Amino acid sequence: MKTDLTIVGGGAAGLAAALSAIDPQLNILIIEREPRLGGILNQCIHNGFGLHMFQEELTGPEYANRFIEALKDKHIDILLGTTVIDIQKKTDFEITLTSEANGYQHLTSKAVIIASGCYERTRGAVQIPGERPKGIMPAGSAQRYLNMEGYLVGKRVFILGSGDIGLIMARRMTLEGAQVLGVAELMPYSNGLTRNIVQCLNDFDIPLYLSHTVTDIKGKDILEQITIQQVDDKFEPIPGTEKVFEVDTLLLSIGLIPDVGLFDSLQMKKSPITKSAIVDQTLMTNVEGLFVCGNALHVHDLVDWVSKEGEKAGKTAKAYLLEQKHEEKDLKSIAPGSNIRYVVPHLIDYNHLTEPIQCAFRVTKKMAQGQFKVVQNGEVILLKKAKHIAPAEMENLIIKPEDLKSKDPIEIHLEEIV
Amino acid sequence: MKELTCIVCPVGCHLSVDESLKVVGNRCPRGEKYAIVEMTSPKRMITTTVRTTFEDCPRLSVKTKEPVPKSLMFDILATLEGIVVEKNVKIGDVIVADACHTGVDIIATKSISSQGVNL
Amino acid sequence: MKDYIVIGSGIIGALITRTLSKYQVSVLVIDKENDISSHQTIANSAIIHSGHDPKPGSLKARLCVEGNAMYDTLEHELAIPLLRTGAYVVAHNNFEEQMLQELHQRAKQNGVLGTYFLSGDEARKVEPRLSETITKVLSLPSTKVTFPWEVSIHAISNAIKNGAEFKRNAHVISIKKVEDHFVLHLKDGTTLESKHVINAAGVMSDLIARMIEENPEFEIKPRKGEYFVLDRKAVGLFNHVIYPLPTKAGKGVLIVPQTHGNILLGPTSYEISDREDESTSREGMKYIKEHLKALSNQIPFDMIIRNFAGVRATSTYEDFYIQESKTYKGFYHVAGIDSPGLTAAPAIAKYLVEEVIRIDLPMKPDFDPIHQPIPLFHTLCDVQKQIEIQKHPKHGHLVCKCEKVTEQDIINAIHSPTGNDTIKGIKKRARAGAGLCQGGYCESEVLKIIARETKVKPNEVNYYAKNTPILVKETKTK
Repeated sequence: MKTDLTIVGGGAAGLAAALSAIDPQLNILIIEREPRLGGILNQCIHNGFGLHMFQEELTGPEYANRFIEALKDKHIDILLGTTVIDIQKKTDFEITLTSEANGYQHLTSKAVIIASGCYERTRGAVQIPGERPKGIMPAGSAQRYLNMEGYLVGKRVFILGSGDIGLIMARRMTLEGAQVLGVAELMPYSNGLTRNIVQCLNDFDIPLYLSHTVTDIKGKDILEQITIQQVDDKFEPIPGTEKVFEVDTLLLSIGLIPDVGLFDSLQMKKSPITKSAIVDQTLMTNVEGLFVCGNALHVHDLVDWVSKEGEKAGKTAKAYLLEQKHEEKDLKSIAPGSNIRYVVPHLIDYNHLTEPIQCAFRVTKKMAQGQFKVVQNGEVILLKKAKHIAPAEMENLIIKPEDLKSKDPIEIHLEEIV
Repeated sequence: MKELTCIVCPVGCHLSVDESLKVVGNRCPRGEKYAIVEMTSPKRMITTTVRTTFEDCPRLSVKTKEPVPKSLMFDILATLEGIVVEKNVKIGDVIVADACHTGVDIIATKSISSQGVNL
Repeated sequence: MKDYIVIGSGIIGALITRTLSKYQVSVLVIDKENDISSHQTIANSAIIHSGHDPKPGSLKARLCVEGNAMYDTLEHELAIPLLRTGAYVVAHNNFEEQMLQELHQRAKQNGVLGTYFLSGDEARKVEPRLSETITKVLSLPSTKVTFPWEVSIHAISNAIKNGAEFKRNAHVISIKKVEDHFVLHLKDGTTLESKHVINAAGVMSDLIARMIEENPEFEIKPRKGEYFVLDRKAVGLFNHVIYPLPTKAGKGVLIVPQTHGNILLGPTSYEISDREDESTSREGMKYIKEHLKALSNQIPFDMIIRNFAGVRATSTYEDFYIQESKTYKGFYHVAGIDSPGLTAAPAIAKYLVEEVIRIDLPMKPDFDPIHQPIPLFHTLCDVQKQIEIQKHPKHGHLVCKCEKVTEQDIINAIHSPTGNDTIKGIKKRARAGAGLCQGGYCESEVLKIIARETKVKPNEVNYYAKNTPILVKETKTK
């Protein structure tokens, strides 16, 4: 098999990438491991998706359907129930696929977009002490069992982490007859959208314990009890603040991590912060012709931004494929400065800078008001004020080519306005 | 006196409303309106699932077409308990008409058919 | 009526069962849990020690050195993984170097071969992440690492092939001597009968002993050990087992490369009162991180995927207690098997059968020592993969992408003679869920496959023990 562009993943990012890469001269292939397109949107049956893309509120399956409908009768091949197990870069990309229907298959592709999404952080990653009974699982797993298979994983539930999936699951499980006893968040602020705190917790009188974490788990075979404790500013539990809950389920909503584990043979350069590829403004990695987008690149707060990033990757991959000769890159860093955790893209390629650079980034601190400063050679070249800045929300900033004063590295800083 | 968090925009104002529906804490008029609606006739979208007989899709996702009175949430959910979808469904098809006499239909948010989902 | 019942299917019970299955006797191995090897065998350091540490002249010293050598045979017979890492014991100053000399003497007395010293710099050339403060290293080349519960499962599979039987969920609550045999009463109300009984019940072994005699010569003083597991992508960061100098409490906090590429860090060692308390603690995790500093400053703690604890069956007897009951002939205790119990296990089985029981029966003429498991798909070469996938198209469906486990691998794990029908049982056999995402990605698929293959409803699939369903209530069923 041979193709021009292979898109790994048929979820929000991959679908948008495919749509924007369509061109009569290009053969495009989407590879999706599930038997249906849509990715994680299929299990996100709640509404609130699409305000930025479609100016209306859709459920996850409806949002996915907009893209799936748009792909119909287009010049795009789709392989469902198929997993990419290896990609090697020779002259072209040599991709190994596996599926029950076709066994092992080999594919050659001129460019690749990785849009494989993310996975949920686990108990092991945050090292929650205690026993290891059944009944402890990532919130997204419980969501899949409930919304796709039709089963509750428990009847008395506590949730660690105020990420949106956990909040959404608090409501979903309540509506299906479970009792949710509370949500504990390590940070002094919620990591979910205010809307979800109000409509998923307050509506059902589910308490949110800020600056709290789970410090003990009891139950040999089945979860019986958890203990939460307040933490100090170094996240150390404060003795005497223990609260005990008799529960059969502990859902974890403690963060997402880009899932690029199957692509080690590509030797992508990775960022230790985002745990995924380092890219330039075209979303190309250090491997020529390899692009990464969506939650496989960095974890987004809204699916709309995932789709937009997918669109970007599709467009730039198309341009890359249609362009006849590829100039050398002139790469300089876009570094996270004060109060900024990371910036994507990590690099500017000055030799391919034709369009505004869409920077997405996360801050390290909650601020009522602040200003973002883009600095080049010690000089502020762009300033943007913002209100209600929070680590849970992804920030955006557009740098136009004419904003740049030279071909030197730039930094993005956040300064608090008191 | 009732405490609310405004969800109209990301600011999240902390609102207080008394019995005479006087709102304080809002930084814009939209907050006042939100608080009064929340106090007098709060509405919510319901998203949930119904049972199907399709082996590869045992549950079909559905939603209320419009927000419905918050107080009727559990009553509306109860009407879905006995529903079993046995035939092909297209996204937007009405699964329950006029749920609990609210005038709001419950519609499918996914298409399912014997040829599989998404078709 | 059996000739032999072995209580406990940990690695000790498993290898005893296999050793007995060589003879013309009927053997049944029972376990109170829902699977083979559910406690000490699945929660230890996985090291085949050289034998440098036990007190010279002890049974521990003898059986450790013998057991270490026997693993080379087991590797071929039972197709178990063996990582020939060798080990370094590190010293940081003159005082510790002196202790290292003493340890070396002890190793030589115990018959450990091939040992030698390296300077700190020489050791860092081989293991560049070793701490700069290390001045001298004792190298123990015969140290190896295995995959303990696979040894058990393969040993019992081989024993079954040679006529033995395995019974799970068989929780012994009392034992009576009736005429010439023993009657074992189980929690479910049933009984088992056997002419001989071998107590290999690990942390429960003194409780079993007390069912037939008033004052056993040993009492279990359980000691807990907590560990961290690093993701398999940490492979190669350390290639040797790294030990600090041993203390009375044990071998200390170690760095142990594992057979699947992961690296194990730990354990702690402290006495506990509840012998089934396998909980981890904040203090334990801090202790491990603190003590690792003496070995290396370059341990990527952000690659931790799991923490766990195991309980060691340390006894008041100090040495392994492998003896016939003083009250009843035909009842044997294999107790107090703490470190180096895993290493000694094959030698313990041989010692029990040949020197304690002194079995005086002919061997089965058709005894087959070889167990050939169906290999996991990802371990095959490309040509074999092509052949297998033709035969079994479900190898085409990759279920667990962290550990590259296919649907057919899972089906094989369910249906093998020592198979298991639980989420954790499948993880133990096929490794689905043992990787970076810890099953977040594949658990729901594994569950569906188990339900289909064992013809039960999804909410009847257990996490591990009986009555531990992952799914507790179906929605919309009114």
